[in-house]
Amino acid sequence: MQKIIDYIDKSCSGLKDNQVTYYYKKKLLDDMSQRATEMVRAGLKDEKVIIDLIADEFGDIKKGYESFLKERKKQQRSKFMKIAFPVGGLIFLIMIFIAYFTVSSFTSAWDKTWLIIVGGIFAMIIFYLSFAINKLCKMRRIFHPIARILIVGCVMLFMVFAFLFQLMMLPDAFIVWPTLSAGVAMALVTDLIFAYTTKQKFRTISFFVYMPVIATMLYIILAAYGIISWIAGWPVIFIGLVVDVLYIISIVMSNMKYFMYSKEAE
Amino acid sequence: MERRLTAELWDKMHYLFRDFNDRMVHVELNYDFVPDIEALRTVIICAFEKIPVLHSKFVDTKLSTHWQVMPYDIDEVFTVSYPDDLKVAADDFLTQYIPPESHIQMKVALFIKDGKSSLCFIENHMCMDGGDLKYFLESFCSNYNKYVNEGISPINYRTGSRSYDDVYSGFSKTEAGVAQRLFKNINARDDHKFPLTADNIRDTSFIARKKFDEQTLIKLKAKGKELGATINELLLACYFYSVYELAGYPSSDRMMISNAIDLRRHMDSVADKGFTNHTSWMQCSVPERGRDILETVKYVVLSSNKFKNDKFMGLYGLPLLNFGYNILPHAASEEIIKIGYSNPLIAMSNIGVLKGDIFSLDGKEPTDAFMSGAVKYKPFVLLTVTTYKNIITLSMCVRGNDEDKKIVGNFFGLMEKNVNTLIGN
Repeated sequence: MQKIIDYIDKSCSGLKDNQVTYYYKKKLLDDMSQRATEMVRAGLKDEKVIIDLIADEFGDIKKGYESFLKERKKQQRSKFMKIAFPVGGLIFLIMIFIAYFTVSSFTSAWDKTWLIIVGGIFAMIIFYLSFAINKLCKMRRIFHPIARILIVGCVMLFMVFAFLFQLMMLPDAFIVWPTLSAGVAMALVTDLIFAYTTKQKFRTISFFVYMPVIATMLYIILAAYGIISWIAGWPVIFIGLVVDVLYIISIVMSNMKYFMYSKEAE
Repeated sequence: MERRLTAELWDKMHYLFRDFNDRMVHVELNYDFVPDIEALRTVIICAFEKIPVLHSKFVDTKLSTHWQVMPYDIDEVFTVSYPDDLKVAADDFLTQYIPPESHIQMKVALFIKDGKSSLCFIENHMCMDGGDLKYFLESFCSNYNKYVNEGISPINYRTGSRSYDDVYSGFSKTEAGVAQRLFKNINARDDHKFPLTADNIRDTSFIARKKFDEQTLIKLKAKGKELGATINELLLACYFYSVYELAGYPSSDRMMISNAIDLRRHMDSVADKGFTNHTSWMQCSVPERGRDILETVKYVVLSSNKFKNDKFMGLYGLPLLNFGYNILPHAASEEIIKIGYSNPLIAMSNIGVLKGDIFSLDGKEPTDAFMSGAVKYKPFVLLTVTTYKNIITLSMCVRGNDEDKKIVGNFFGLMEKNVNTLIGN
């Protein structure tokens, strides 16, 4: 134990002598003592070898101090979040209701002001989900599909609110419903962006499946807004297939150089 | 806190081989002195601490697999005993089996008699192959010497990635791109078997060995030069010829013997890599036995050259295996891989030259050194070749009965006859 303490003190020389450094040294001592106990239990008797093994395993102690500081800040933030999340949520909810009653009383538009409550709650859910998504992305890849589902959920919530908002605020209700189609398209595009940036398995298959659906949604939106005709505009649907074919060609082209190389090598 | 290690592609593949062999790799180093037992204990613990996979158990949850680092006691790993017969004791030790679920994956024994000792190792092939075990032993002996002579802590072992895709590290970007697209399964099937008896519950593991003296090696080298063949190819030709004779296969039959190849040849350096497996098969085939052994050598050289000229030798099918293990739960991927994978019925592994100086302890080289692959389950066989002090040792580890021992003995007799014919004895 004394040798471990001496080693820690020697390795930490130059670090500021404050409470944080003390915590770091204490953590090192706990971890190193545990490893030393494991080694002794395994049958190692030579103290010098134990210290050398531990030193080798723990690496650069000063570099470790920087990671410790980062980790400590993260823990403090996480502690704060644990309190801030429920309290902040509650305050936000109260504020939404205050806003709802205030706006409704002044405008007397009770038939429309409920959007404040719905929008507020949706915003709060999206805010919380974004934290969950962030956490899931940092976890093992097996959890990434859940993150993808949550991302789609966030986009859909946003688009549902946009739909309700238009429904209440726009005089012509007919042109509102394509918002839901746009929601589907946006959800798929967002999922694709996530899949490609995080290099998810089967992202290429997702691309091939999503593109025709996105193109179909595009056709519905454009036709609904009268930008293209319902009858003559259907070729827009094929844009998805064309994009798929172009993508296949690009994959073949990029693989071609490897094929050519292996032929040359043969 | 539970400590886990990733189960790499080759770990999973060797786990899949549980139906074909016991996955143990064997080493025997004989010395004419007794090493410092306490120092050996320290060196072994340090090796285990530096290579945690050696004290881990393999966990198969059916959905996925991983290694779980476990506590251990040196007395479970290292045993010292004083038997009446060193050879019998070593053989008994080497033919034991360590299950992957065990919390240690390597065992070491020191047998002592009349001032002589035999240092034996068995290790789960899932942790490392013969190539890395050779390197491990080199580090082990060097660490022991530095610890005993200079008091330097014996902690100098390679650590780092155990991933299969390190084999691409020596390639340029384009070459690596090509290699990572070698999905082709070149696993050809051959039904020719080594003529062992049928499986029996009473079968036990045994190691059969055959040594060829220094003169034979010198003559083989000369013959190899004359025929443009390597020692490995000459021995492989004798192997082919002997199996034809032993099993009585028609000389017109096409036969195939798989030859283990070290994929580290494709890597720049292994200095920053962990102990792992990087071994694949090269399937060497002859269209017929040949009128004489010289013709068989010609066929073997032709077949072998085809592989040697391939820049991506041994890398075929690796991306397919990786894909197979990645897309499905572990249990399902094993079933799929079993369909496409055919384990070679007759195989050979040339571990190469074991240099005396790198295995020396206290400045004394081993009087004899030997390494061998896993004990194969019938009908699979693997002939392991090692060379120490210019003496070639052929070994075959089989789970069988007395009849099988005789058959393997006959095979070694035929090997001797064919090697002698080849070198003109």
